[in-house]
Amino acid sequence: MARKLSEAARKSLLLGQCIPTVKQNAVKIRVKRLELDENLLMYFKKDEFYYCHDPDKKCQTGDIVLIESLPQKLTKLITHQIKEVVYPFGDITDPVTGKKVAKERYREDIEKEAEIYGKLDSTFDYSKAPPRGWQEGKKDFTSKPTYTKYHVFDKNDPYAI
Amino acid sequence: MLRSLTASIVQCRGIKHQVQIKWVRPDYVPSYKPEKSGDLENIPKITDDTLGQDYALSEEIKDAPESVKKIFSVSHLGFQAFKALAKKELTERVRRHQYDEDTTEYTIARLTAHIRCLQHTMEKYPKNIKAKQTCQELIDKRKKHLKFLRQYDYKKFEWLLEKLNIEYKGHPETYNKLSRKESLRKLTELHCDEIRNKKLHDYRNLLESQQGPFLKEKLEALKFIKSEQMELKLPITVTDQDIKKVEIQLEEWKVKDEIKQQAKKKKRHILLEESE
Repeated sequence: MARKLSEAARKSLLLGQCIPTVKQNAVKIRVKRLELDENLLMYFKKDEFYYCHDPDKKCQTGDIVLIESLPQKLTKLITHQIKEVVYPFGDITDPVTGKKVAKERYREDIEKEAEIYGKLDSTFDYSKAPPRGWQEGKKDFTSKPTYTKYHVFDKNDPYAI
Repeated sequence: MLRSLTASIVQCRGIKHQVQIKWVRPDYVPSYKPEKSGDLENIPKITDDTLGQDYALSEEIKDAPESVKKIFSVSHLGFQAFKALAKKELTERVRRHQYDEDTTEYTIARLTAHIRCLQHTMEKYPKNIKAKQTCQELIDKRKKHLKFLRQYDYKKFEWLLEKLNIEYKGHPETYNKLSRKESLRKLTELHCDEIRNKKLHDYRNLLESQQGPFLKEKLEALKFIKSEQMELKLPITVTDQDIKKVEIQLEEWKVKDEIKQQAKKKKRHILLEESE
């Protein structure tokens, strides 16, 4: 019975979000859980963190992903692997119509509105936009965690605040 | 009596640090400064003789005398007119259409213009508390807008950073106050890591340098065994494949070793040049 349970737990999938980490060969996934406090009989949120193996680098910071445990631990830390990216961060598709969405509106509608008012050259064009990641390390410092600056090093680290 | 005497001779207060690490406390940077707020660009360059935003539309001013133009120029109209022009320049970089005044990109551009103007004011008058406060509030507001934009439209977020020349850094997990103890602890950790990595690297080099002679020995031994087996007409256990494998390994090692030696030579040259 116990073995069956452990096997089932190993095979089960977890849904989590990728969060910034300094590790280069693994991604850190946060899985949100609810924990019952038996005294208060109330559920409180509790985060679990998993380090996952991602050789193809298909997962970027912020993505909602499905993870499953590895048949054998890669290292002491890396126990899971990325199975599938469910929702890419900041690039949402409406599941019913299959159209791209920005906040509560379709991107098509936004563009149509701009055309009716008289589209300017300065408008952002989705079709010409490069895929996410072209500003990473240049102006967008979100792939690694930031920290309070604690020493004056010779080389200035942009992730130190 | 004795205790006090020994205490005065042998000082036992505090811990003796065996690792010599010098900690330099980073200078305090006010959060309204561009390096903290993430503005990579200064206030837009607008010359003093530029006409005010509304007056520039007028037909009459085009062929008006210089003195009249001077009256309606930014230098005469004041900082408000200058600010309006700065706002116009920044918002026109990202505007969707002529009547666009409430979209996120327009809001962020407008806030950016205001922030850069206030930063300019703060440079001139560092004791202007009201400007400092407003600037801080606007920076926080802009960061919040950028955070939300990143969540629902990453491509536009990146495009906006490029267009307005803003740097975006995520919030740290905790905003802890800088302390000497914690900083020294982190520095010691870095120091330990460095020592460990250096030792590992040296050991690796040592092992790799021993690989070549061993492979040569192995090759000779294999050949010798094969020849002996052939001579004594025993069943042959060493195949040609084994010998070829070792040969390939030896060649690969030679190429790697040459690259390493060259790198060493280069390093030595650089050191010699520096000492000269």
